[in-house]
Amino acid sequence: MTHKFTAQNKMIDVIDEDASLLTTLTRFGISFGFGNKTIEDACKSNNIDTETFLAVINFIAEGNMIMDDTVQHLSIETVISYLKNGHSYFISYKLPSLKTKLLEAVDASDQSIPYRQVFLRFFDEYVDEVRKHMEYEDQTVFPYVMQLLSGTQNPKYSISVFEDHHSDVDSKLAELKNILVKYYPSKGNNYRLNEVLFDLLLLEKDLVIHNMVEDYFFVPVVEAIEQNLRQ
Amino acid sequence: MSEISIKIAIAEPSTIIRSGLASIMKRIQGYQIQTIEIPSTNMLTSSIRMYKPDMLIVNPVYCSPADIAKLKEETNAVNMKVVVIVTGFYDDFLKSQFDEFIGLYDTTEQLQQKLKKMFCEPEAEEKPDEVDTLSQREKEIVTCVVKGLTNKEIANELFLSTHTVITHRRNIARKLGIHSAAGLTVYAIVNKLVEIKDLNANSENN
Repeated sequence: MTHKFTAQNKMIDVIDEDASLLTTLTRFGISFGFGNKTIEDACKSNNIDTETFLAVINFIAEGNMIMDDTVQHLSIETVISYLKNGHSYFISYKLPSLKTKLLEAVDASDQSIPYRQVFLRFFDEYVDEVRKHMEYEDQTVFPYVMQLLSGTQNPKYSISVFEDHHSDVDSKLAELKNILVKYYPSKGNNYRLNEVLFDLLLLEKDLVIHNMVEDYFFVPVVEAIEQNLRQ
Repeated sequence: MSEISIKIAIAEPSTIIRSGLASIMKRIQGYQIQTIEIPSTNMLTSSIRMYKPDMLIVNPVYCSPADIAKLKEETNAVNMKVVVIVTGFYDDFLKSQFDEFIGLYDTTEQLQQKLKKMFCEPEAEEKPDEVDTLSQREKEIVTCVVKGLTNKEIANELFLSTHTVITHRRNIARKLGIHSAAGLTVYAIVNKLVEIKDLNANSENN
């Protein structure tokens, strides 16, 4: 056995092993209530390619990529739906909820008023950057890849263009975390700020994983398809 | 200290050596290591092409120095460092054809030194734990950045060359871990380098 999880493991084992993989299940579109189904059955009933699911979840759980034959049978559709779900989670849910919490924390500290707008601007600029990056993928990159899959290559575009665009959206989040931990002059109890920080840490980790899935399961696979079409 | 991130491909048939190396490499301080294990030769070229690793650790059974040159050319990986795993006797001359070698009995510290030799600029190690407080000059520059001045305008305002301003900005970013103008604004306000009203005055002018 080379990998941690196999198709015959139960889906619930994944969560028992590492609860942070809950996010990954949701990201794939696996709804809860899977009872005692195996990974294979749960994937099938949610129309998810089992091999791709396993490859990604093992990659995340092991923090390591093992090059075996599965890499050649990845379902790019499944990867795209994973990435799309991620985008809508970040943009429509996580970032707005983080903003609310951040503002509450800033408002609760004693010198609240002047800080509010500065933090808000920093955060808004960040969200804007993330949104642009993700919308670009949703509107330009994914349709291009879907076209590729149907056998036609848009001569004006290639995935290498995307690689150049692929700025790291998590680095600016690290900055915000840095500012809060190192420079925010807070006094007394910091419960709210702690909670914001904790959320930031989780979000940062989540974004890092999201970007890694792009770098390991999306871009290289698309490059390989492009190459095949060219030949 | 910010970490250096390195993508390492490990081409080695033994699972124990391969996975062992992968997990030890990840334990090395100061680096953010991502590993790609390549268990069999037939995946070597495609893996390098797909993942463009910064470094390849390879068992010499897989490839000779000549194969490596060919591999680099085929995959367009000119800058990839290639490190050979030495498990038994291995000719010194052959060893010298690789960027580095790893022995089975290397300690984590030795591995760390070897990474450092390959991936750190020599000047970077000269200043180990510098203070991360800003100098007076750097504070002035932060203030200018926050007010929305370009590097050229800052140079004019402080009678510096643009080149010097850029160097200062790079040092500021490293010391604070903050790169964006918006981030520096938060830093400047929180540390009272500028007043909120200065910002507002400026944004109204624009």
